[in-house]
Amino acid sequence: MRRTLFAVLCLLLAVPALAEPVKSPIPIGIAVAQTSNVALFGEEQVNGAKIAEKYFNGQGGVNGTPIVLVFQDTAGDEAGAVNAFQNLINRDNVVAIVGPTLSQQAFAADPLADKAGVPVVGPSNTAKGIPQIGPFVGRISAPMTQVAPHSVSEALRINPKIKKVAVLYAQNDAFSSSETTTFQQAVKDLGLEIATLQKFQTTDTDFTTQVTAVLGEDVGLVIISGLAADSGNLVKQLRQLGYQGLIVGGNGLNSPNMFPVCGALCEGIMVAQAYSSSTVDANPVNKAFVEAFTAAYKKAPAQFSAQSFTAVQVVVEALRKAEKDSGKKITAMDLAAARAELNKALRTGSYLTPVGEISITPEGEVDQKSFYVSKVKMNSDGKTGEFVLVTQ
Amino acid sequence: MDVFFSSYGFLLAMVVQQALLGLSVYYPLLAGQLSLASIGFYSLGGYVAAIMGTHPALAALRESLGFWMFPLEWLCALVLSIILGLAVGLPVLRLRGIYLALATIAFAQVVNVTVLNMPIAGGAVGIFAIPQAFDSRLAYLFFFGPLLVLALAVAFRLERIGPGRVILSIREDELAAAAMGVPTTYYKVLPFVWGCALAGVTGAMSAPFLNTWNARQGTFDASVACLAYVLIGGARSPWGPVFGAALLVSLPEVLRPLRDSRMILNGVVLVLACVYLPRGIVGAFSSLSRRMRGVKEAAS
Repeated sequence: MRRTLFAVLCLLLAVPALAEPVKSPIPIGIAVAQTSNVALFGEEQVNGAKIAEKYFNGQGGVNGTPIVLVFQDTAGDEAGAVNAFQNLINRDNVVAIVGPTLSQQAFAADPLADKAGVPVVGPSNTAKGIPQIGPFVGRISAPMTQVAPHSVSEALRINPKIKKVAVLYAQNDAFSSSETTTFQQAVKDLGLEIATLQKFQTTDTDFTTQVTAVLGEDVGLVIISGLAADSGNLVKQLRQLGYQGLIVGGNGLNSPNMFPVCGALCEGIMVAQAYSSSTVDANPVNKAFVEAFTAAYKKAPAQFSAQSFTAVQVVVEALRKAEKDSGKKITAMDLAAARAELNKALRTGSYLTPVGEISITPEGEVDQKSFYVSKVKMNSDGKTGEFVLVTQ
Repeated sequence: MDVFFSSYGFLLAMVVQQALLGLSVYYPLLAGQLSLASIGFYSLGGYVAAIMGTHPALAALRESLGFWMFPLEWLCALVLSIILGLAVGLPVLRLRGIYLALATIAFAQVVNVTVLNMPIAGGAVGIFAIPQAFDSRLAYLFFFGPLLVLALAVAFRLERIGPGRVILSIREDELAAAAMGVPTTYYKVLPFVWGCALAGVTGAMSAPFLNTWNARQGTFDASVACLAYVLIGGARSPWGPVFGAALLVSLPEVLRPLRDSRMILNGVVLVLACVYLPRGIVGAFSSLSRRMRGVKEAAS
């Protein structure tokens, strides 16, 4: 039994991959979490990608050849991502993969795609080290270290007198505890002083200790990294006990789920975003995207949807560029050659996308031109509200 | 065939890897002890291999050892697992039933929180770019395969030798065994530590297999999955965890063409297995074969 297995293995290593043509319509893989507890994000990514498929096929696809998105569920774990990638690479013969949802999954699955020579475009991987996985791995999602500092500098622009800052974070949340180090660095880089550093748990409801410490320091800015519910309560208690300065929130506060918690007291919380749906006047692609998305799903698109649209867009435009540069139709190319050509094209030129103008560096890192800082504006009912763009 | 192995190579290796985790839960069950600590040791073993494989301070050692670095990682994971297994097992195995299960869940949680807060373990993102032993995922069977053979051999042998029978006697009735003069603590700790060691080494082999290692490998969900391999496969035969892992790991992948409805069907199969196969797949097979034999004997 084991000898046969060994023989099969040897055979496997000996047989070279046969030349395979690119299918028409051109298959592009989407490997995101459609099940598990990450599906909340994955579903938004699926929605955004579907809009992109329809939009770009409406434009004639890749110079006349339509594209088709092949969805493979990665679920929420590393093994699921590897399985989805293997299916897309070997069975669905896609030219490129958009995915996976989580950075941790990317670290497991991307090396396999890189080895197989399949370009990967990460739509939501923000951790350090993703583009460095290999020459075929890139992303269009700006890392946290680039996005978060914008809200702090915007706060300083609104109130230049700020000298002392209070930083609070949820100690038991992985994202929050790593986001806060970015915030603390940004505060130091701007020459401000961290007067107090307070920790809390995402399960806390009473923040008297933390709020008292903040009020005792006479700070002009409070920076919070946490999840929606706990941060909402924290903001509420800060305001109720008399804090009147500015509040900057991390990505966890970039969610309408916070509004029912702090109610009218949410007013004025500032968050930095990689995407804003209110840039439709200045950005025609975003206008088309927001209109199509709102028509299909009856709500404005969130960041995850916009980024997955952007990832598909980048692949489609790079395919067009690859055809132009090589003077050959993608469907006339051998699959391996098409993948290599596409990877080269992905890293040249810039793209006007829903998240603004971006380009991908030769290493695979995204270079996003503009970020958005929004402010919470609550409605008169004190329960609903929205994020209003402060600046770009 | 080529396409089959390139797309399912990872899955085949993963079935064996998860079967090993199932067996690590099976061993303490031999003495009737329900332990969910395995996943904690799996996580620890993975971290040992990931840190040894990537830490810059060990670059010279990796350089000089080459491929032998991998066995060294297993050895370190093994030693650490045995020491920790003894340290945890001796006090914890004085507890019984549900309290033991709770204590072992707590251990896995402690490991998780500890590694999340250790800078050397890379925080929430974990450790990535772990050096690879093989290019093909399927080739990792050369790691997991022999370990599975060893683990199964020990499990089958245990049923036939003295200490094994003593362990089984504790499962049947701990009080009676103690009354017969069996040092029950010793014979409960033995399979527990053996299970911990197996999980630790499996973890050390898995870190390069997955390319990356993070605290998400040691969650409560993962420990429940390991327990499910044993319960669905059958807790009375070493083949149980193997068949359970094969079914539970491969089912979602085999059902992949069904797209969105695959998880529903996956759930239906599990519920049916629980309801109609109370002694697991292997238990159902053995009672079926016994009945067939009975029919044959009756006919002759």
